[in-house]
Amino acid sequence: MNNPLVLYQVVAVMLLCLGLYALVARRTLIGMLIGVELMLNGAGLSIVAAAQLTPMDAVLGQLGALLVMGLAAAEATLVLAIVLVVNKRFGDAAADGPSELKG
Amino acid sequence: MNEMYLGQFAFAFYTLIVLAGGGLAVSAASLVRAMLGLVVALFGVAGLYLLLLADFVALMQILIYVGAVTVLIFFAIMLTRAAADGGEAEGPGAGGILRAIPAFLVPAGILVPLLAVYGATGFPTPKNVSPAQLGAGLLGPYTLAFELISVVLLAAMAGAVILAFEKREPR
Repeated sequence: MNNPLVLYQVVAVMLLCLGLYALVARRTLIGMLIGVELMLNGAGLSIVAAAQLTPMDAVLGQLGALLVMGLAAAEATLVLAIVLVVNKRFGDAAADGPSELKG
Repeated sequence: MNEMYLGQFAFAFYTLIVLAGGGLAVSAASLVRAMLGLVVALFGVAGLYLLLLADFVALMQILIYVGAVTVLIFFAIMLTRAAADGGEAEGPGAGGILRAIPAFLVPAGILVPLLAVYGATGFPTPKNVSPAQLGAGLLGPYTLAFELISVVLLAAMAGAVILAFEKREPR
């Protein structure tokens, strides 16, 4: 295991797994959003590591990571609005509230 | 050779920070503590970016994630009063943990052995890219992505305003 690229990718996979755990185990929408942010960070780390340590175009990799950050910001904005709407409608931000109509 | 060991030590240190912060973000009962764990993990990822010689991305990580996204999530926590008496207080429960463990074990079980066996070999030292080259890339071959991300941000913000807008029509 003396390969730096594989070590960085393993750290990225760990971030993905932590985010998946939070996404499934958390009860509130905000806790699930924290899990999604962890997963997106793992994606950015994986992209930058792959671009910096292989013959790939490094500019493309770093710009890809910046685009992931922009998407994360947009997604956090939307989730904040959805959390506000759910909170107004159901009284709290628990994730099982909006599923009351599923039958 | 000495710098090599220093780099390995820094990698281990930042990985430890990322894992500790991520563990706190995943396991804390209070959402504010989970947010603090997320901030620690984000700083650790910024350190890993610095180790990869992607210093502009590390700066943007601190500026966008730690500066903006975290404040946004803190606003969500405050506006929903989720800190003290929210639904996270009693923890995930046995059923939640039972569902969550296979949810992360399956991707980890697939990805990590694949990485260990078929992992691509990389350079031992990363490449250096100046911010000027990044700017030239944004205005040159990757202009479309640059414009698209701005449109996506505008649409997301307009949608957020419309969603959260309180109707004042008397009925």
